[in-house]
Amino acid sequence: MTRRDATLGWIRVWGRAARLALAVAVAGFSPASYTPHTRTVALQQIYFTAWQVLIRFTLFAALLGLVVVQITVSVARDFDLAAYALELVLRVLVLEVIPLLTALFVALRSGAAINTEVALMQVSGELDGMRAEDMDPVEREFLPRVLATGISVTALTILGCGLVLVTAYLAMYGFSPWGFNEYSRTIARVFDPPALVGFALKCLAFSLAVAVIPVAAGTEATRQMRSAPVAVMGGMVRLFFALGLIEVLALAVKYV
Amino acid sequence: MEREPGVTALPKNLQFRVGLLLGLTLMVAIGFVVYVLYARGVFEARQRLTLVADNAEGVSIGMDLTFSGFPIGRVNRMALDEDGRARIDIDVPRKDARWLRTSSVFTIERGVVGSARIRAYTGNLQDPPLADGAVRPVLRGDASEEIPRMVATLRTVLENVEQMTAAGGSLQASLANLQAVTERLAGRQGALAAVLGGDEQAKKVTTAIDRANALLASLSAVSQRFDGVLGKTDQRVFGEGGVMDSAQRALAQANGILGDLRETLKKADQVLADAQQVGANAKAATTDLATLRAEVDASLRKVSGLIDEINRRWPFERSTEIKLP
Repeated sequence: MTRRDATLGWIRVWGRAARLALAVAVAGFSPASYTPHTRTVALQQIYFTAWQVLIRFTLFAALLGLVVVQITVSVARDFDLAAYALELVLRVLVLEVIPLLTALFVALRSGAAINTEVALMQVSGELDGMRAEDMDPVEREFLPRVLATGISVTALTILGCGLVLVTAYLAMYGFSPWGFNEYSRTIARVFDPPALVGFALKCLAFSLAVAVIPVAAGTEATRQMRSAPVAVMGGMVRLFFALGLIEVLALAVKYV
Repeated sequence: MEREPGVTALPKNLQFRVGLLLGLTLMVAIGFVVYVLYARGVFEARQRLTLVADNAEGVSIGMDLTFSGFPIGRVNRMALDEDGRARIDIDVPRKDARWLRTSSVFTIERGVVGSARIRAYTGNLQDPPLADGAVRPVLRGDASEEIPRMVATLRTVLENVEQMTAAGGSLQASLANLQAVTERLAGRQGALAAVLGGDEQAKKVTTAIDRANALLASLSAVSQRFDGVLGKTDQRVFGEGGVMDSAQRALAQANGILGDLRETLKKADQVLADAQQVGANAKAATTDLATLRAEVDASLRKVSGLIDEINRRWPFERSTEIKLP
């Protein structure tokens, strides 16, 4: 494969993802898309993606928060910068690390599954069969999965961040209520309106990437069985790069 | 797509669980947004304070205004005014505004590490409270601004030190001198040589001291002899049988002699009166006259002898100088 072919292939797969995102968005804005079937698939997908991992994921987030807060606070005390420790923790953990980890986690678990599922649908000819029966696979199969994955990423991010906020308070002040004012001031300093808007936009971008890229990659499979692993691998790599790119862009916009 | 049974079991209350998850998420999200709004002071009454600074470097939006170490306000907006000075708008919650009085002083302090700090100091809490929208000047104390000046001073100091320590510098010369001095100190003449600058001078000084010692010894002998002389003089003049004693005795004798003389003169008076009275009887009187004459002669001899005695015994009349042996 020449360099030109590689570039063309790169444009083609990203163009496919963009087209799928547009198609899903169009379907999402059409009330006719919300059939009982769509709803059932979406509910199932949310259950598998978010509910099943909720306890483990939140425990992991809490543990991470606890460890990071403890390390940061003790190091900051050594350098006489304890006043900045909490702010640093909130900025790093809540605004950056937890959303990225959540997106990666969902991508690894459900993203890979959806990618494979869609690839197998393609291999088995299920999608072609739907098209032959004049049913839109985007509306029927892709929209609920994309919606459910997006909602799951958002929900896990919000719950994880909320738990880290609580953990950070407890790690910093213990069960004393007297740290509340200082904590509130730090929260107010960190979560100013631009930061909140940026946070929301970044979560949306993560959700979109995790939801759309695996599905788009799954449709790249052909009727041959051997095409499925290639499609899954390509999709997961692209998803990883997309998440990294979003994070880097968000950081660049905020701090550069 | 319908999932094959056995691969993943779906719970019966799937809808409820998903609803619970979404509800919880929504609750956390809304609760967090409300909490952030509360933390940012959206729900409490605030008043505005504007600080005017020459330089707002290190001040950022969201920074705290502290009073006694407690944050009582937050920087809300910063802008340059018409005169090119920085206007820092600070939101102070009403409940914390009571710490700010018309006499309050505001400072921006900047440490080497960390951002600047805006502090308020209120000397008298009885003063009238600061009005809403008050505009106050702010004093600036900047540790990092001191650093260049400190470095410049330090460089001068280091240059001086370098000059002093350079080869041929004054410090080296001083050290060399010090070494010479300590060598002399350790030498035979010791500290004297070190102070006087050489063995020759030190020898002269020791010789001078020896001479002075000898002189003192002879002076001591002289004073001893002088003591002896004084003792003798005392004895001669005031002692028993001394000059004073003799003089006293001579005076007593003189007194006695004068008394005799007076008696004699009285007798002479009487005799003369008798002579006058019995002038006629000259012949008879002649005998008495001869006796009288003998007596007068004797008295005169005594007086003469007395005077001689006095002259002999009273040495001061002849010479007032006392010759010491």
